Amino acid sequence: MVVMDIDRRELRTQAPGQEAGRGEPTRAPGWTPLAGNALLDRIRVTGRPRPLADPERVARLRESLEQGLGLRPDPASVPPPSHPASIRALLVTKDRLTRALRGQPQSDGEIQPPTTALACGALIDGLFQQLITIGTIGDPMRDGLDGLGVDERQAQLVTWIENLPASERGALAAEVVRQSADLVTRWPRLDPAWLPRTQVPMRVGVAGGSVELSGRVDLAIGRPGLGVASVAIVEVKSGVRRPEHRHDLHFYALLETLRSPAPPFAVATYYSRTGELDVDPVSDELLASAARRTAAGIRALGEQAIASSDPIGGAR
Amino acid sequence: MTQLLRPQQVTAAILAPAAAPIGPADRKWVRQRLLDAVPSLVEELPAPAQVVVTVPLLRQAHRDPEALAGPEEPFAWKPVFVRRSLGLSAVDACFNHRFSNPGEAVGPLADEAAAEWGRTGWRTFHWEPWMAALTPAARSVALAEAATWATALWSSLDWGSFARTIRIGGPDDQWVCTAPRTVRLKGRSELQISLEPTTGGGSQRVALVSVASGMPIAGWEAELGFLALAASLRSPSRPVPARVVGLWPDAGEFRSVDITGEILVSAADRVIACIAAIARARRSMVS
Repeated sequence: MVVMDIDRRELRTQAPGQEAGRGEPTRAPGWTPLAGNALLDRIRVTGRPRPLADPERVARLRESLEQGLGLRPDPASVPPPSHPASIRALLVTKDRLTRALRGQPQSDGEIQPPTTALACGALIDGLFQQLITIGTIGDPMRDGLDGLGVDERQAQLVTWIENLPASERGALAAEVVRQSADLVTRWPRLDPAWLPRTQVPMRVGVAGGSVELSGRVDLAIGRPGLGVASVAIVEVKSGVRRPEHRHDLHFYALLETLRSPAPPFAVATYYSRTGELDVDPVSDELLASAARRTAAGIRALGEQAIASSDPIGGAR
Repeated sequence: MTQLLRPQQVTAAILAPAAAPIGPADRKWVRQRLLDAVPSLVEELPAPAQVVVTVPLLRQAHRDPEALAGPEEPFAWKPVFVRRSLGLSAVDACFNHRFSNPGEAVGPLADEAAAEWGRTGWRTFHWEPWMAALTPAARSVALAEAATWATALWSSLDWGSFARTIRIGGPDDQWVCTAPRTVRLKGRSELQISLEPTTGGGSQRVALVSVASGMPIAGWEAELGFLALAASLRSPSRPVPARVVGLWPDAGEFRSVDITGEILVSAADRVIACIAAIARARRSMVS
């Protein structure tokens, strides 16, 4: 069973059958967001033993993924060490998985028109990275735009923000200022000994490398490569809580487990809009469920690629 | 088989006893193979064209040769270009106990480099003027890139097992092939580690360590071998590196290849195939 270790005061306020993430969450009177060491403790102290490194776990998850894809690996065979360079791997990201599982078409190669929500998310992601890296945020809008400005992939978004009508830009700025002030207030300086690192890329090849699982997490804390789970993964979201955010986290837990000796001990989403923090301790059940969902998503992606006029779909 | 990045295992793979060194005859033969093949491939390229062969280019030519025909992007500094040099500087500072981890090191090291450039005009990393002109927010993006990159490397190895005979960063191994157009092989490894001399003495041999993004794809042996090839061609009087270890932190994997004559030949053949693909692509652009 996947443990939903969100703030229990919040859970108690939900009506039976109400799912967190459907619209505005209801919070108990007097609820206040976690801050400082309490926020870190919520991530660090899961109340469960930390998983140990276990090559068999990794083998089981890989087998589950590959069986879910319809492959039936011969246990005696040695998997190919790497996929042929000339064969492009099917790229699987959290967003592609979610769209495929909903039966929505992929939007690869299409330029998504910017929205205020997208702009706010990009600015807050950058400001969170800045806060973790140098410990301060100056003028949030100016800093956010400066941070985006050194990434040429964000050029269109920066131009769009700068050309917003004054009223819309003012509303965006007000929200960015509010959320960044909360980030500064609630997030303590992370001890450098925990090796905090931002925008961490993760890549895992499965099915002989013909499928590439890919992710980039906002924050990872803890020393990787140890014999016991020591890494926590945190995603920051500037919008409202949605059910798929939890699936995204579990996908990242799966990726980290497949690429590291030990799984992460916890995955968390921090909602900068409200200060809510959802933390899932990582268990074998969580990972198995994530592997099943990922396999189903990959199958759906493969079907989309076949049905699409583009023969390689989102392959890369 | 997938080899996960466990610091002790990777370090043991790097420091394993070296196999027999490659003899001078084999080295000369590989060099001659390049000198025989390359000139005719590039002679029709318009002057003053030059070809610089690097591991990323080898990879691109192998994986997506059509992309070689695309226009080259004009160079502009961006955080991803800073991360390796600043990241290696941070790892070096941690190895020498100046800082306890890369995240602590990148900011002060970037400040020192910019201050030194401001004082003397000397650019250790080349990016100093660019970094110095950035706002704190933009600068933090470059620092974050470097810290994340360096932390991945710092966490991948058991640094206490290395003696002081480790070079972190340092100049690229470059060799210019005699040809009608300049062809330069540029090997860039992140670490160079001296290995224990084998029984019977002989010259000190080294292991090279390369850090790459993404995940290993077919042909990784020749790509790692290319780094040994470039080192071998640059310094004929020094022994060929005993092995090259590749780290792919994004994928949490490593690979190790002991350098044999066959690996050098396979690397040289990849270089020849890469130059042929570049020449084809450039001719197609002209026509």
